[in-house]
Amino acid sequence: MSRRLLGVAITATLAVTLTGCGSGGSGSDNALEIWIRQAPDSDSAKTAVKLADAFTKASGVKTKVVALFDDFETKLNQQAAQKKLPDIVINDTAQLGNMHSQGWLREIDKASLAGGDKLSDRAWQAATGADGKFYGTPFSAQAFALIVRKDWREKVGMEPPKSWDDLAKLAQAFTQKDPDGNGKADTAGFVIPAGTKRGYASWYASSYIYGNGGDFIKGTGGGHFQATVNDPKTVEAVQYLQDQFCKAKTVNPGAVSNDTTVTHEVFEKGQGGIYLVGPYVLARFVKSIGTDKIEVLPLPKGPTGGPGTLGEGENVYLMAGSDQQDAQKKFAEFAISPEGQKIGMNKDANGAIVRLPVNTQVDMAGERQDPRWKVFQDAYANAVYAPPVPNWAPIRQDSADSINAVWADCSANVKTAMDQLNTKLTQELQSQKAS
Amino acid sequence: MTSTLTPAPGRTATPHRRTKRVRWRGPLMAWLFLAPALLLFLYFKFIPMFVGLWKSFFKVQTFLGDEWLGLENYKTIISDADFAAAIWHSILLALGTTIGSLVLGLGFALLIEGPARYLWFVRTAAFLPVVTTMAAVAEVWRIMFHPADSGMLNTIIGWVGVDPQPWLASEHSSLWSIMLMSIWRGTPYDMMIFLAGLVGVDRTLYEAAAVDGASTWHRLRHITLPALRPVFWILFTLAAIRGLRVFVEVYVLTNGGPNGSSEVLMTLIYKLGFQKNDLGVASAGGIVLFLATLALTLIAQMLRRRQAR
Repeated sequence: MSRRLLGVAITATLAVTLTGCGSGGSGSDNALEIWIRQAPDSDSAKTAVKLADAFTKASGVKTKVVALFDDFETKLNQQAAQKKLPDIVINDTAQLGNMHSQGWLREIDKASLAGGDKLSDRAWQAATGADGKFYGTPFSAQAFALIVRKDWREKVGMEPPKSWDDLAKLAQAFTQKDPDGNGKADTAGFVIPAGTKRGYASWYASSYIYGNGGDFIKGTGGGHFQATVNDPKTVEAVQYLQDQFCKAKTVNPGAVSNDTTVTHEVFEKGQGGIYLVGPYVLARFVKSIGTDKIEVLPLPKGPTGGPGTLGEGENVYLMAGSDQQDAQKKFAEFAISPEGQKIGMNKDANGAIVRLPVNTQVDMAGERQDPRWKVFQDAYANAVYAPPVPNWAPIRQDSADSINAVWADCSANVKTAMDQLNTKLTQELQSQKAS
Repeated sequence: MTSTLTPAPGRTATPHRRTKRVRWRGPLMAWLFLAPALLLFLYFKFIPMFVGLWKSFFKVQTFLGDEWLGLENYKTIISDADFAAAIWHSILLALGTTIGSLVLGLGFALLIEGPARYLWFVRTAAFLPVVTTMAAVAEVWRIMFHPADSGMLNTIIGWVGVDPQPWLASEHSSLWSIMLMSIWRGTPYDMMIFLAGLVGVDRTLYEAAAVDGASTWHRLRHITLPALRPVFWILFTLAAIRGLRVFVEVYVLTNGGPNGSSEVLMTLIYKLGFQKNDLGVASAGGIVLFLATLALTLIAQMLRRRQAR
């Protein structure tokens, strides 16, 4: 008994010592800690450091940039559990509900934010919570467009697609007519990240759904929503893509298991020729494939609706629990100012953290010479943001699981699957008290 | 008087104190040596386990404070159809990987058993998959599984006239493909344990059997396999636990897809916790997985004891 007691005593003493060591206060240098969802040491992370340095120069506030990509939300959760959230987080607009429902975000007083009136209304939509208040400052916007292998399109002798039919025919030509001229049937039309990680299948399908006038859920007023994913227009869009996977077989092999990291490589390796994606990869593809080989074309509107693509971007979130509230606000004001936006745009080079500027006073054509950016900017005029439900993450994940299922199983009936998904989304809205 | 009296009790007390010190020294040293490991276990394993158990009764809101739900999270996870499918996939994957690795591991162990000098090289080469990081292995296999004609595995099976397979891209073959990779990785580990077991087999039994005219198969069946029984039990237990906890290979290769065909318990729990941000339900799933692993281990131990009797 006494031996056991001794063991317990030693363990407890050491545990207390270690716990004591671990709980030393961090951030004692009092720098404004800025987290951004970008890979460490990437070009984008370097742009973020440039932005933070310029802010320090302008305001005298010290900053510390932390670039994290993998499991970003998991790491935020860990910080939240310790009640030590970073001061600023630059993250996807679609994460607003998720972070707000956890109580991580400070409300933004739009009227008192210097320069807040210079931001486009569409961009402010992306910073709106389920209660109609603002919980982030818009920082960067993006809409989606088709990045297409121009050299392939010219080789197969086809015009830029004007309708979904044209698009399907172009994909078929890319699949069957050996556009890379190597004598092998090793090319595909569409390059699709159709896996379920982070809800990619749903993310990709969104632009087709919005481009056909469909939707996942619709607001019914007063912070209430209704699932509409079995609407004929939505079903038609998912069916169009199922046909590409199953009937025309114009999608790159293995797409149903891929995320965007893999899909970018598939496009770069010349295994497929049509990639519906945001502008953030444009500079990368220009560099890796060759500027004369790629073009950016708008996604044609669907047969029964459109135009529209998914609208996305990043917000600057002022995190709760910070003891530097003034500095947080100053950073947000700097980030949306013309100077901050221009630094974030990084001209035509790789590593833009501002894809499309949200400040209406910034002339994008003056900053970027590449005219292909304009296609994305034009698409943004019809971009559709995820609706301000309390938490969009489970809705995107559930729809990704269902959409991935009908693309992976060619015998699956799209209408039935969308009916089932509609029931699931209705339950999810109920559990979020938003139905 | 006092000078003679003072040392007297000291003299009688010293041996007593010495034996007491000696009695304490052994355990004290043992605990001191164990302490760093115990401390790490306590801090990184046991405390998080209990926190996980505690959180499974709450709606977890890391910043706002948790909301008590009782058994609600358990009801949610157990009634989830995806959870049942994930259990089935986990069991299938665990069984396939265990049996495949055991059979192949035993085969290889028998082939490369012996004192010959060159064998150290073969053993080292064969053991390499075990020491390679799982994430790296899975990434390489993902490239080899490329479902087009140009994919590496498809090229190889093409040499013997087999049509290209979709591997990970089809819901009918994704789980089997992951199993194939897991067997490739698990076999060398099992092989090494078998090799260690084979060293313990009494060589004179083989010689006696050979004198009696027993064939190789008879020697294997009546001497080697019975002698390896404890090794089999260790491997069964380890493989079953490993099989149920499988995560990295599935996460990297398919993330549970396509169409949920390779969703296992750990990927489902990860999805619930970190992609849907439902940490309470994910914790409940983790506890259910822990109980299942515990039950499986106890059953294996009971069977082993019964057989040992």
